[in-house]
Amino acid sequence: MAVEVRIPADLWEEDEEGVITTWLTDDGAAVGKGRAIATVMVKKVEFDIPAPADGTLIMLKKADDVVRKGDVIGRIE
Amino acid sequence: MTTPVKGNVRKLVIARAMAEAIAQEMRIDPRVFVMGEDIGPLGGVFGNTRGLHEEFGSERVRDAPISETAFIGAGVGAAADGMRPIVELMFVDFFGVCMDAIYNMMAKNIYFSGGNVKMPMVLMTATGGGYSDAGQHSQCLHGTFAHLPGMKVVAPSNAYDAKGLMVSAIRDDSPVVYLFHKGLQGMGWLGTEPDSIVHVPEESYTVPIGKAATVREGKDVTIVGITSGVHHALKAADTLAARGVSAEVIDLRSLVPLDREHVIASVRKTGRLIVVDEDYHSYGVTGEIIASVVEHDIAMLKAPPRRVAYPDIPIPYSRPMEQWALPNPAKIVAAFDSMAR
Repeated sequence: MAVEVRIPADLWEEDEEGVITTWLTDDGAAVGKGRAIATVMVKKVEFDIPAPADGTLIMLKKADDVVRKGDVIGRIE
Repeated sequence: MTTPVKGNVRKLVIARAMAEAIAQEMRIDPRVFVMGEDIGPLGGVFGNTRGLHEEFGSERVRDAPISETAFIGAGVGAAADGMRPIVELMFVDFFGVCMDAIYNMMAKNIYFSGGNVKMPMVLMTATGGGYSDAGQHSQCLHGTFAHLPGMKVVAPSNAYDAKGLMVSAIRDDSPVVYLFHKGLQGMGWLGTEPDSIVHVPEESYTVPIGKAATVREGKDVTIVGITSGVHHALKAADTLAARGVSAEVIDLRSLVPLDREHVIASVRKTGRLIVVDEDYHSYGVTGEIIASVVEHDIAMLKAPPRRVAYPDIPIPYSRPMEQWALPNPAKIVAAFDSMAR
């Protein structure tokens, strides 16, 4: 069963847009729950996005894509 | 949708790779400590000490006041007294006020003491521009530090080398200047270079100081670079490949000791040499590499060598002016085109 990789709705305070600065692994790579798999930057502050589960990461957004809180950026199968 | 499962790829940006190397050495050696401006709870303005204060506390991860003269001098004293300090000079451009501690004490005390005093200090410092931070926050100064004897000088272009070179630097009994390019740190707001973000093993390993690496093999021209220059060279090599020119790219990784043999072996094969450096054009790394090849055997060269470096001007603040001045892949391709064929 797939688990969504979602940017937490409370990750930053205001309603600003962010950007995915880096994926910290490859599309289709095995990831472990809790490990940082991407970073999102909002107004020069970077946040880690941890893997929500063990499994294979499918990326749904690319580096440099603009994102908002609550967006799904990938899923883990 | 099915996607083939790949291995457990753990990519790190250079900043995280540096912090991981420091943390692993601190866990096994109580003599290792970190000192500098904003390297504590903030984790370093370029991210390379993130997480260290939380794990090791204020005694071993020491925020220093804005007095480079004092705290770099203190680092030299601690190293002479048996500690293994990692001291951060926030921007290499700020070396002016503390240079006596660096080049008259840190670099020379092993020699002055007849080898009786070790100097296991790492001076890590940020280099490079491209983000409109003007002339006193954007320099590389590779040649300045590499010119002065007594210090090893390293400068990684990717996260794998960043971790391995940091471990080597910490374990070295000689002083090591560890230069990291701000644009390659993976800090987001400074821009991102995807090719610098590579798989990094979790376990500790070393990358030897003084060894260059061939990061792309070719037969028609050798392009030598360090830090940002490596990435410009790789992009230029892609452009040249599309035109049927096979470029070999060498990442120096260390400036002192300089792996001249590695460059010479490549030029012996290709017969052409371009050196790329974000440091100033004159009296610098580019001239040193070319001189090393020419001194060895000028007959290896099928064409006069070329350098792509920063013009001999203070770095402009204005974005179009700075971008005009910086090395880039197009300038490397143009340098190739200007060589006699």
